[in-house]
Amino acid sequence: MKLYLYGIIDSSDQIKKSIYGLEGSGVYNVPFCDIGAVVTEIEKPIQDVTEDAVLGHEAVVEELMANFTVLPVRFQTIIDGRDSLLSMMQSYYRDFKGNLERFRNKCEFGIKVIWPANKVKESIIKALKKGEQRIIDGSPSKRFIKKKFEGYKIDKEFEAKADKFIKVMDIFFSKFAVEKKTKKLKTKNLLLDAVYLVEKDRENDFREAFGHIKSGPLGLKYLFSGPWPPYNFVVLSKKPDLLRDSEQADLFGEVTQCQALVGVGSI
Amino acid sequence: MIANAIVETDSPEEFIKEIEKAQNALPKKINANPKTVEKGLAKLVLTLIELIRKLLEKQAMRRVEAGSLSDEEIERVGETLMKLENKMEELKEIFGLKDEELNLNLGPLGDLL
Repeated sequence: MKLYLYGIIDSSDQIKKSIYGLEGSGVYNVPFCDIGAVVTEIEKPIQDVTEDAVLGHEAVVEELMANFTVLPVRFQTIIDGRDSLLSMMQSYYRDFKGNLERFRNKCEFGIKVIWPANKVKESIIKALKKGEQRIIDGSPSKRFIKKKFEGYKIDKEFEAKADKFIKVMDIFFSKFAVEKKTKKLKTKNLLLDAVYLVEKDRENDFREAFGHIKSGPLGLKYLFSGPWPPYNFVVLSKKPDLLRDSEQADLFGEVTQCQALVGVGSI
Repeated sequence: MIANAIVETDSPEEFIKEIEKAQNALPKKINANPKTVEKGLAKLVLTLIELIRKLLEKQAMRRVEAGSLSDEEIERVGETLMKLENKMEELKEIFGLKDEELNLNLGPLGDLL
């Protein structure tokens, strides 16, 4: 029997509320030390990425968020069975604990901003035409360099304008966030694609900040989303040192390892 | 179905279009099979050459901007860059590659070009 994983929670207790996951099967917690992996049993991998399935996964994670700190796991994460799951939990235990600690009472908001790239470029070209001419036309190679230089100046100015806009918005949002990830100009129109990790008691401040920004410069379009589980802030070390420790552990070593992991005195 | 999360925007279609554009800019998997291996290798090599060409071009533009190139140097650099660009166009045509195909996704580091 394969296990479909929704997330890691900061509790080893069973989930009291009945939650139904993908394919309508009951969601339960597989404890490991003082944390747990929330799963459902599935017969075969979920082949189709349908809207219902994606929203079903998200709904379970959000239900969990109401009572636990959750380390959300990517849609379609399937583990081979209970043993593989426990082995994975053991390998990544410290990473999971660290992330759960960071995410306590926090959630993620996403902000995307579209700007009118063509209009911005047009205004830059207009402004640059009035400026100085560094290269005088002449040979084909000089004309080539001149054309390239014009393109270079336009691109440079375009980036500078994007930086300016983003800086203003980011300063504003960062006041209410504890961590952030921003991406500039993923496409020429998508000026900003940002995610912010926000403390739950500052959610309303963050929403208000968005309201202020939204009523700002005309011509910008916004997409605001959240509160999400902090999908974009999970950090995992590539080579967990616990894996090396566990390779030498015997099958009955779990209790001892758990105590070592949670810092309880050695036996 | 979602309990709390909201998605709020006045322009959903535009955002869908831009997000799809950003996601589809690069293939998620390399399509390598015996029939396309030559093209795949050419793509990889040309992407790296394109990166170097763009770096050279950018450096030249910086020097033009700083005014540190003489007339003769501009002439020489222009000729070199022009020939390099023409050669790249020829190679792209030979291997049937488009500009947007010459890129590599470096995962968390972003795109190469």
